[in-house]
Amino acid sequence: MLKVNRVYKAYRSQEVLKSACLEIGSEIKVLIGINGCGKSTLLKIIAGIIKPDKGNVLLREKDITHMAPEERRVGYVPQHPALFGHKSVIDNIRYGMRSGLGSEELLKDLISMLALEDILNKKPGELSGGYKSRVSLARALAPEPGMILLDEPLSDIDAAVKEKLLPEFRRVTKLMNVPVLYVTHDPAEAGQIGDTFAVMQDGKVNEIDSASEAFNIIKKDKFISAL
Amino acid sequence: MSKGSMQTKSMPKNLVSWFFLPLFLLLVVFPLLALVWNLKPDGIVRTLKDWFFWQSFRNTILAAFAASALGSVLAIGFGYYHLFHKNAFTYKLANLMNDLPAAIPHTVAGLALLLAFGRKTCGFISNTGLAFTLFAVVLAMFFVSYPLSARTIASGVDGIDQEMVDVARTLGDNPVQAYFRIVLPLMGKSIFAGFVLAFSRALSEFAAVVMFGGNLPGSTQVLASYVFTKVEEGELEMAVTASVICILLSLIIVALISIRRREHA
Repeated sequence: MLKVNRVYKAYRSQEVLKSACLEIGSEIKVLIGINGCGKSTLLKIIAGIIKPDKGNVLLREKDITHMAPEERRVGYVPQHPALFGHKSVIDNIRYGMRSGLGSEELLKDLISMLALEDILNKKPGELSGGYKSRVSLARALAPEPGMILLDEPLSDIDAAVKEKLLPEFRRVTKLMNVPVLYVTHDPAEAGQIGDTFAVMQDGKVNEIDSASEAFNIIKKDKFISAL
Repeated sequence: MSKGSMQTKSMPKNLVSWFFLPLFLLLVVFPLLALVWNLKPDGIVRTLKDWFFWQSFRNTILAAFAASALGSVLAIGFGYYHLFHKNAFTYKLANLMNDLPAAIPHTVAGLALLLAFGRKTCGFISNTGLAFTLFAVVLAMFFVSYPLSARTIASGVDGIDQEMVDVARTLGDNPVQAYFRIVLPLMGKSIFAGFVLAFSRALSEFAAVVMFGGNLPGSTQVLASYVFTKVEEGELEMAVTASVICILLSLIIVALISIRRREHA
């Protein structure tokens, strides 16, 4: 169980998160919100990349708020694949396994499920956007993380490829049986991948029953932010 | 189209052709050509036969190389702080100090080095401390050229995708590991550019080198101080030859930078 308790974050005088709370079991929770609403900030706070001003983050009842990212065992897939350009695909995927984390069996499964067999020795620069995203996901999952955070991982991908990748992403992340937080601004994308849903509004997280509920909320938020 | 708007459009072109270009030719190209025009075969032969010239040539290359290598090592350390500790007081101070060598007269830099590493503090090494040795020349060149390496590497660090660093951290790297395993291998171009820029700056240094390293022919004399000595001795033709060789060296460096740039374009 991943739990976020009353997290606050402000940049200079602008409050981005105001008492944000979130609970995720072994499910894919999708956090939906317009661009710039603080979704990525919350995700980076959970990953340990950004420190919160107040509040705490608990993973399996353990307070990890002040732990460094390298100690949290988090699988993080950023918005852009951010593959290590000087390493081959297989070295990218194995990167988090250096200290004995993960298993060869899981590695084989990930490679097979994400159809990466033929590109293992290629450099990231030689890959298409879809493959880059797959490698980024495999790299995050190979060390068997205790939670998975995906920050709009398919935002760079065109619609047709995204349609194909979303079920793959869902299948592979479900395999890990850990809390998964998937951030997106697109309610349709959310509906395809998520088990449970939440929207981020005015620095707070509100649970919703379905992704379709988010459509109206997003529309309203976009209108307000355009004013 | 009205006559007025046509005049406005053609004005910048004329401005460049009739003002900036002649000014550039007069102030930059003409002095360099003046050197080449004053090359005399006799001066060339005498310079190339002069043992002190070759010693100063060797000293220049060796000291500039060592100074730029040292500068690159320190700049790599600065790059780490630039990436992970931008709000730290030590970083802010180091960042401020980076601009200082460019802003102060280089005689002042030389004097500072002399007082820091001279007889008073390093007298146990020799009568003059580190001063008036080839190592002093290296330190003087380093002092004035290091900021170029640091600035180049810092801008290289800025060009690295921050998300890559974030991912490396979540995959088990502490900041030092992320910097050396992920950031630095992707910064080859910046490190090379910083090294070459620092090398070219070090080659041309005179004041700080003479103040701290001295101008001892055959020992600490470099090309810049060799030219100065030859002018003082009235050996203008030898000074001109040495100067043209300095320019050729710089041209090689400039060519190296542009070839490297083109390769990565």
